Amino acid sequence: MPKRILCVPFDPVHDVGIKIIRSELDKHGHNTVLLSPDLTPEAVVKIAAEGEYDFILVSRTLGYGVAELLARFVDLLDVAGVREKSKVVIGGKPITPELAAELGFDKGFGEHSTIDEVVAYIEGREISVTATGLNRTKKDIASKYDYEFKNKEIGRLLDSITDKLLKWAEDKTSPGVERAKIQAEILAAGNDQQRKPLLDKYYALCDDVIINGNSKKVFTKGVREVSEKELHNLNNFVHDSHPINPVKIQYNDGQPLLFKFLGSGCPLMDIMHAKVCERYGIDGFLLINPSWEARYEGLLQGCLAHENDGTITSFENIRLMKQSLDPSTLLTVRAHRGLNTPETVLLAGEAGANLAKINLVYGSLGAGTDPVRLAVDGIEAIRLAAKYKMPFDIPGNDELSGVPAWKSLAGLLINVMLGVKLGAQPILKPLFCYGPHIVINGMMSQNFIDYNAAKILALKEIVNSPIWPGEPIAFMTQSEERVQSANANSYHASLAASLNVDAITVASTDEAYSRGPICITSRIDTIRAITDAFRFVGNAKFEPTTQAGLFTEELINKITGTLREVNSKPDLTEAIYKGCLGNKEDGAYPGTFGNGTVKTK
Amino acid sequence: MDTAFERIMDAIDIETYIVCSDANEGKKYAMQLGREMNLGEIDIMYQEFDGYGIRVRLRKYIYKPGNNYTYLNKEKIS
Repeated sequence: MPKRILCVPFDPVHDVGIKIIRSELDKHGHNTVLLSPDLTPEAVVKIAAEGEYDFILVSRTLGYGVAELLARFVDLLDVAGVREKSKVVIGGKPITPELAAELGFDKGFGEHSTIDEVVAYIEGREISVTATGLNRTKKDIASKYDYEFKNKEIGRLLDSITDKLLKWAEDKTSPGVERAKIQAEILAAGNDQQRKPLLDKYYALCDDVIINGNSKKVFTKGVREVSEKELHNLNNFVHDSHPINPVKIQYNDGQPLLFKFLGSGCPLMDIMHAKVCERYGIDGFLLINPSWEARYEGLLQGCLAHENDGTITSFENIRLMKQSLDPSTLLTVRAHRGLNTPETVLLAGEAGANLAKINLVYGSLGAGTDPVRLAVDGIEAIRLAAKYKMPFDIPGNDELSGVPAWKSLAGLLINVMLGVKLGAQPILKPLFCYGPHIVINGMMSQNFIDYNAAKILALKEIVNSPIWPGEPIAFMTQSEERVQSANANSYHASLAASLNVDAITVASTDEAYSRGPICITSRIDTIRAITDAFRFVGNAKFEPTTQAGLFTEELINKITGTLREVNSKPDLTEAIYKGCLGNKEDGAYPGTFGNGTVKTK
Repeated sequence: MDTAFERIMDAIDIETYIVCSDANEGKKYAMQLGREMNLGEIDIMYQEFDGYGIRVRLRKYIYKPGNNYTYLNKEKIS
């Protein structure tokens, strides 16, 4: 039955909120009367007393003395007998249910109330605001791309480079490749009797640190097993608490998905952060492992916590993470650093992760692994990513040392072609950063837009591939000051949205703070900033200047030149050793972990 | 009943503005503030002296990764 409602903008100026609510009530068939703003309480009470209204809806911004004014208004309504026939409701940004009750109103709606809630109250309906769930579907980043190389010369160069690499690797294997095969058998083994000989084979290819951890439970400093009780408690946290009013960060479907890093060291802390971030709209997470994990042959097993940066990428940890996340949330696992690349991808696939992070150039130039070893391991890892139908994301490395962007992008493109040939779905991840080479050469002296935009525009001109800037965006532009840090993220995210990329990796406002772990509030800071920025930019754009076009052309030319140089070498590993994709002058050095471990089959 | 501190997910930050004559004095007062609030060991996340005082953010970690998170030791989170 339609209700009769008196709408009172009890404010000198602001009446937009009550107008919006009135419009919605009208659409629902109610009879509304809107008064002009800034009437005296006495004038409003007179109108309310003379009419027949079911509800008096008052909107008011609080300020000095306003609470007293509203309390007096309620008293006047009482005296005039209006309260006997009408319910009196207050709405406004600072209004809380407690404040409304304190002032004598029947109901109050504040900043976080929705119009649906107001309408439901007027109509006497219950509206549930609990246990809503995320109510979203899992997104596919890669499927709409065909990986056609629009730049034919670059396509031909990459074809040649990757052909030579695959041929070079044909007869080679490594402890990492062999362990991944054994690990697959271990996971498939039905009982301990079958598992035991496989574990012996596995340990024969592991470093002592890993053997001691797995067989004797003697771990390196700061590592411990997560107890059954802790897992039980975590399970309660995950299943007994639910997101209220989940947020969608993207204002339209064209805006990119948002990913955040997880890697506090402790899977429990990671999961608690992840659950809160999911509610704020984060679409996916990247699981980052500890740097020491990269140096050892073999991976630790079990649910393990670690007191320092990086969460151990055991099968159990990845599975726990995946099982705790909403089914719509994507999880990618960093695999390309170190000696366990194929095995990490295998475990990620078996544990249900959605993507794997692999860049065999970056991993051997910026992350310490021997180029020959990572080439062999990387190829196997990409094959496994294809087997598990996990797209793989390829991070850029121009934030490290002073590697120029065109060399980093050339490395990314080599991985793309390799991925395509091995049946996988690669994702380009150029950096949105104020990298050392950019600083030294002044490419961002005028603005932060043109050079970042040029990277995306160049890649789009070269190949039809998904693009996911990272890692994280705004790298090297954030300070320890949280407002600046959140703003830097929101500007870069808006630029990414303007360039129609598929996803972005965002940091927290703790990004520049290195003396302690990232805290949950700093994660929320940047998400909130980007959510606002996406609303602000909507379907409009940050517009690069004409300089971006010049940068784009220069990047494509220099990527082509870099790939020609790489192609002039016998194989990719030789090109990396010779510095074609980053040399000593750039501050990039080929890694040494796993040197001499590649064998002929 | 738990203390409110035990219910903090990881860290507590305090942002404020301290009137002081230079950055060193501001830093001393910031650290003193942590002690006066019984926070024990704190870290100054950020500070900027502007001639009148410092804008400052202090952080106290209640739980670090790998700790025993007391708030999880419940049958149900309520």
